[in-house]
This record gives sequence, structure tokens and C-alpha cells, in this order.
Amino acid sequence: MTNMIDIDDVWKIYDVGGEKIEALKSVNLTIEKGTFISIVGHSGSGKTTLLSILGGLTKPSQGRVHIEGIDIWNLNDRELSAMRNRKIGFIFQFSSLIPTLRAIDNVALPVIYANGGGKTDRKATYEYARELLSTLGLGNKLQSFPSELSGGQQRRVSIARAFINRPSIIVADEPTGDLDMQSESEVMEFFSHNNEQEKTTFLLVTHNLALARMTDKVHTMKNGMLNQNNGGFTV
Amino acid sequence: MNISQTSLALQNLARRTFRTYALLLAIAIVSGAIFSTSTLMWGVNNSLSKGLSKFGADLLVVPRGSMISMKSALLTGEPSLFYMEGGIMDKIASIKGVKSVSPQLFLTSVEGNCCVMGNAFIIGFNPKTDFTVLPWLEEKKERPFEMEDVIVGAANAYNVGDTVFFYGQNLTVYGKLDRTGVGLYDNAIFMNIERAYAMAEQSYKIPNVVPLKLVRGQVSAVLVQTEVGSKLPFISFTISKDPDVKVITAGNIITSVRQNLVTLFGSTLVLSFVLILANALMISAIFSTIVNERKRELGILRAIGASKMSIFKLIVSEAAMLTSMGGALGVFFGIVIMRVFQRTIIFNLKALNMPYLWPPASSIIMLASMAIVAAVVVGVAGAFYPALQGSRLQPYDAIRAGE
Repeated sequence: MTNMIDIDDVWKIYDVGGEKIEALKSVNLTIEKGTFISIVGHSGSGKTTLLSILGGLTKPSQGRVHIEGIDIWNLNDRELSAMRNRKIGFIFQFSSLIPTLRAIDNVALPVIYANGGGKTDRKATYEYARELLSTLGLGNKLQSFPSELSGGQQRRVSIARAFINRPSIIVADEPTGDLDMQSESEVMEFFSHNNEQEKTTFLLVTHNLALARMTDKVHTMKNGMLNQNNGGFTV
Repeated sequence: MNISQTSLALQNLARRTFRTYALLLAIAIVSGAIFSTSTLMWGVNNSLSKGLSKFGADLLVVPRGSMISMKSALLTGEPSLFYMEGGIMDKIASIKGVKSVSPQLFLTSVEGNCCVMGNAFIIGFNPKTDFTVLPWLEEKKERPFEMEDVIVGAANAYNVGDTVFFYGQNLTVYGKLDRTGVGLYDNAIFMNIERAYAMAEQSYKIPNVVPLKLVRGQVSAVLVQTEVGSKLPFISFTISKDPDVKVITAGNIITSVRQNLVTLFGSTLVLSFVLILANALMISAIFSTIVNERKRELGILRAIGASKMSIFKLIVSEAAMLTSMGGALGVFFGIVIMRVFQRTIIFNLKALNMPYLWPPASSIIMLASMAIVAAVVVGVAGAFYPALQGSRLQPYDAIRAGE
């Protein structure tokens, strides 16, 4: 199988008031295309920092991140932005919707940054946005603004947005945090289905071990270090 | 409506309605002030250059002591009466470099049955030597100008073919001049100088009418046209040796009006530019706040694929949209206010010896566009630094800033 993501000796050191805080310490990880992995660990263990580095949102202090063989931190801003837009779908652990946009527009939003903005098939994008929202149980909320949606519904809109450009990688930080058990199970089913059918690679950060058990591999993080037991273990 | 970078910017503006309207109003006031002031200044300048180019004379010789009255007559069409001996024309004509001279005689009609209207500014000219009236006829009868004819200025109510009467003499309106904004041409009634002398003599014979006090052979002004390449200062100096006359150049008149113009509008323009600077600073401060408020949102946009340039463009385009709308609003109000108060404006300008002619539509469109572009430049300049800051945010730091 092809390696989708290669993380090689990644460090992240923050300078907080002159004190060096090592958020990540020599993290190495290889993720094959189409795998569904989860990362578990206590708060502050560095999970989110790792996600943001491999998602091209935070520059590592040291080390390399390759996505499909491309060293993403060697790309210029335009290339890196294009990669985030086309290859990576983000699901954040907090509400991440644009308050002035309706649910359907929030889902379609990434399209304005695709191909330099405006050259993609908008009609097809909106049709797919409708389909995604309907699949996630929000077919009747297409025209609602975020303020008119519950926390769980907002979360599902942002999940739909992450899939709009049919990315190769989904990076999800506590994606089911605001969801009830039934919604959580539906979302995980949606992820699994997508993982199987589209061969999308999933990286899931969670505190929820039950959720982690549903993934192919589980990695643990502690004090900025990723477990080194040959790329993860099965819970 | 499908989402786009433009609609996203518009929706962001609509998010804080009070702030957006307050900014719009502030920008509209400044652009409106700049547009109105520049339109008025343009109008005065336009009127001066158009009117004085039609004047056609390089020099104007008037009796000493009547220069101010002459300027007033020229610019506002205010009837002025002063006379000097016509013999001066021969002296002037003999000066080297003078191409032609032509006299003008100023008269004023009186109220009463003798005249079709009172206080009309009547100017006698010599059609044989004239180079300032006949060439500028906009419409005329299809025959030569005759003794019983008059020519009216554009602001005059009479039209070609109408009959008017002064001091018992019926006269036909032979032609009408193009509008210039310069009073002398727009308000006066021109007739053959010989007819004017005859009319003055006739005025003594009409009972209960104040006669025209002038003597045949006298003139009010002598218009001088010089040869191409001749030395105007030399000719002016030579004529000025005669202690009884004063020489006026078109440049003299334009300079004095422009001085008045600067006095009148200069402070408004200075104030407008101060306001522009204040607006730019205000926009900068407000957009800094906006960027701060929307850090997480900007971070999310970066996460879904917005480049630094896209973020920069988003913020700058919000400012550009806001200021262009404000600019357009200011221009609209400027036009409305100038149209509503146009009579008052023209009256007040005339009181200051400033002729006024509305600029042509093309110039108004150009000035309006310039005012709007200036507003946009102010907006973009004001939002530039905050936009740069917003675009430089690290996506993850920006996202976490809202936590």
C-alpha cells in the first residue's frame, strides 16, 4: 500500500515567556492510504498539535511531514493552501462554522478556494453539499444559520464541510464531542462507509476509547510523544 | 445565491449593521464634500476658461478707475457704465504687434414703457471690426447682421426672431450666443454700435425717460487682438502709458477669480483632506478590531484552503466595498444637494464675482468616479495593514485564539 502520510522526527517547541515547552517530541508515524487510525491521550498530550502539523496548519519546529510523498512544509503558502483545500478535510473540536452563512453555504464554502476560486462546478458542489447534509440528517436544515442549529447539528454541518472536496485525508479532532450516542454512531458509520468506499484516510483524535476501538489502529500520546509500538496497537 | 468571496465579504459587512452604516455615513460625508467642492470649483474654472476663450481678445482697454466694474461686467454680466474717448482706438491700432481693435459701448435700459425690460445690459459693438461676438453665435438668422438687429446671450429669455424694443426702437433678435457661464455673454444684448449711439440720442426725445448719458464717439472698452508671436507685455505696457486707461488681460481676470475660488473652497478642500486622513485611520482601527474579532473565522478559512492572499483580499475587498458604497452615496447626496440648491449656489457665487457653468455630464461623471475611487483608495489604504496582519496569522494559532 502507498503511504499517505509520513511524519518523520517532528518536534514542536513553544516559547512561552522564555520557557521552552516541548509539545511534540520526535514524533514518527506512517499512515497508509485508506487506513482509519485514532490517537488517544490525555489533554495536553500533543494530539491536536500533531493533527495541526500534519494538516498543514502549524509549522513544526523540526522534522518533515510528507503527504503522498510531498514535503508539505516545503510548499509555498499558495501550494500548501491548495493542498489543505483539496486533500485534507478538517473537523475541529469546537464550532467552526461561519456565522453569516447558511448551513448549505458553510458546507460549500471550501469550493470558493478551489482552483484559485470560482472555477469549479458550483452546481455540482451544491448538489453534493445537499447530499452530505441529508446523509448526516440535516436535509431539513439546509437554509438554517448556525445560530439556529444545536451544537450537535453545527458539528454535523462542519463534518459535511470536511467532505465537500472529496479529500484524501480527514483530520478529525473530537468529531463527535457534541453528539448524542445515536448521532455519534451515525457519524462513525458515515466515516467508516467513506473510508471503505472512497478509501479516504482518517485520523481521529479522541478521548473516547469506545470510538477509538472502531478504528483500524489506535495510537496513544503522552507528553508529546507518540507510542512507538510499530505504528499503533489494536484496542 | 451561491457562495463566493464577494458574497462572503458582503455578508461580513451585513453582520454589524450599525458599524457598517456608521462607516458608510462617515465616508459618504467626506466623498460628498470632496465631490461637491470639486464640482463647484470645476464649474467656475470651466465657465472662466470657456467664457474667456470666447472672449477672443488678448487685451481689454478700459477707462482708468473702471477696472473692477469691468471685471464685474465681464464675469457676472452686472451692467456697468463708463466711457472714454474712442480716439484711443487709433493709438492702440498703431502699436506694433496689434492685429485688430474693436470697440464696445455699454448701456443700460430703464424701467418703463420705453423699453421691453429695465436694467438690461446693452452692448454696442462694431460688426465690421468685431472678433468677439459674431464668431460665437450658436443660432442665427440666415442673413447678414443688420442695423435693426440684436444678438442675445444664452441666459436671455428671447429667441431668434423675437422682437424687442428699447427707447422706442423695435429690434429683431438676429441670433443667440452659446452658453458660457460668463455674465457678459450670457446676459447682455448686443447691437450695432451705431444703433446704440442713435438710441442714446433718441432717449433724449422720449418724455419722462432718463436719457442715456453718452456722446457719440465715446466707447466703454476697446478689445485688442494681437499678432501671433507679438509681445503682449510690451503692447500692454505701451497702451498703459496713456494715464486715462487701464489694460486688463484674460489672465488678470482668471487669476483674481481663482484667488477668490481658493479662498472660498480652499478651506473646504483642506478640511476634506483632513477628514480623508481621519477616515483612513478610523477604517484602519475598525478593521483591526474586525480582524481581531474574526481570528478564529480567518483561521478556519485558512484551514479549508484560503491562502494568505485570499484572506488579504477578503479583508481589503470588504473595505473597498464599504468605501465604494459610501463614496457612491456621498456623490449621490452631493448631486441632490447641488441640484436642490443650485439657484442659491449660483447666486452666491455671482455675488463673489464668480461665474458658474455646470460642468458637462462627462466631467460630472469623471469627478464622481474620482470621488468614489478616492473613497476606495482611502478604504484600501486604511484596511491594508489590518488585512496584512489577518493574512499573516498562523491558521492554528488563529483558530485557537477563539477558544
